Amino acid sequence: MGLKDKYAIVGVGYTPQGKVPARTTLSFHLEACANAIADAGLKPHDVDGLIVYRHFPGPTGERDLTPYLLAQHLGIAPTYAYQDAN
Amino acid sequence: MSALESGLCRYVLLTYAHSGDSLRRVLDEISGDEAPFGLFGAAGGYALAARRAMHEFHTGPDTWKHIAVGQRQWARLNPRAILRDRPLTLEDYEAAPFLVEPFRLPDNCLVNDGGRACILTSLERARDLKQPPVTIMGLGQHNPSADLYQPGHLTGPTGAQAAFRQALGMAGITRSDIDACQIYDCFTYTVEITLQDYGFFEPGQGAQWFAGGTIEPGGAMPVNTSGGQLAEAYHMGLTPLTEAVMQLMGRCGARQLGPETATKKPEIILCSDNGGVLQTHACCILRRWTP
Repeated sequence: MGLKDKYAIVGVGYTPQGKVPARTTLSFHLEACANAIADAGLKPHDVDGLIVYRHFPGPTGERDLTPYLLAQHLGIAPTYAYQDAN
Repeated sequence: MSALESGLCRYVLLTYAHSGDSLRRVLDEISGDEAPFGLFGAAGGYALAARRAMHEFHTGPDTWKHIAVGQRQWARLNPRAILRDRPLTLEDYEAAPFLVEPFRLPDNCLVNDGGRACILTSLERARDLKQPPVTIMGLGQHNPSADLYQPGHLTGPTGAQAAFRQALGMAGITRSDIDACQIYDCFTYTVEITLQDYGFFEPGQGAQWFAGGTIEPGGAMPVNTSGGQLAEAYHMGLTPLTEAVMQLMGRCGARQLGPETATKKPEIILCSDNGGVLQTHACCILRRWTP
């Protein structure tokens, strides 16, 4: 098939994990994204597609996390943004 | 990949994160028509399927303990793993309390704060970047039902069987070409039914297949080499996917597949994800790109 070996994964971003108090979901997204971008040797403005993995309902006291919010905080304007709903 | 294939995008960022109490609310919320009968939450649904599998093909804790212990062995080698400093023996497993019968505590994935992300691009662009490219050889997806209770699917085949067939077809390989697996492991039983549906062993033969350290460091088929969601961290499908990428890039330190862990240096790794309660499935075959 035509897609075989046509696309590659080129960077991975980690964050602290476990019980990490006083951190929002948004802050973990931003840290993981920034680390993945740096790991690939890219700049934020290179990213023109943003897929936010399926998420659970917002934790108590936090606003819902959308690709728009994330793009705004990353300072990017993706041509394609998507989020799998619950 | 459709965003790349259509030419809309050059670099796609894929991200997951979690904090606070939201996942726990999903897992143990008492809701739905079945709740008055004592069935609720994700653990309840998977436990029901596992209980049925115990009846149909005689699996059970004697199979699952090898998965829990095997993955914990990998976690011991991973500085990021949340349970790195919590060794688990077969005896510890057998002495652990039930969370939802037949699942004991070590059968369940972690509930943790944190995030994970990765970046996809074309192979052409990947060649000029910092890391060695890991290409997507094959993809498959199959969603036979969103409803756990359809008896034809309760104990498999889940969507894994058809999804794997598609992925192998796209990749143009056979199962024996796969060097290691990173399997979505919300529960130990999920690992068993997924590998069973992929055809690594016949229904009910999991206890023999997993026994003796098959999936552990030094084993013939390493599985969930970060510790997985049972012992490293839960980031949905990105726990298995990113670990496969890091292994193929050769960046895994003490847990690196190859001479470091008395395993084969991997060329091809199979990853899975599933959703709903067990039924929906996606899988992905990755390889270390060598021109």
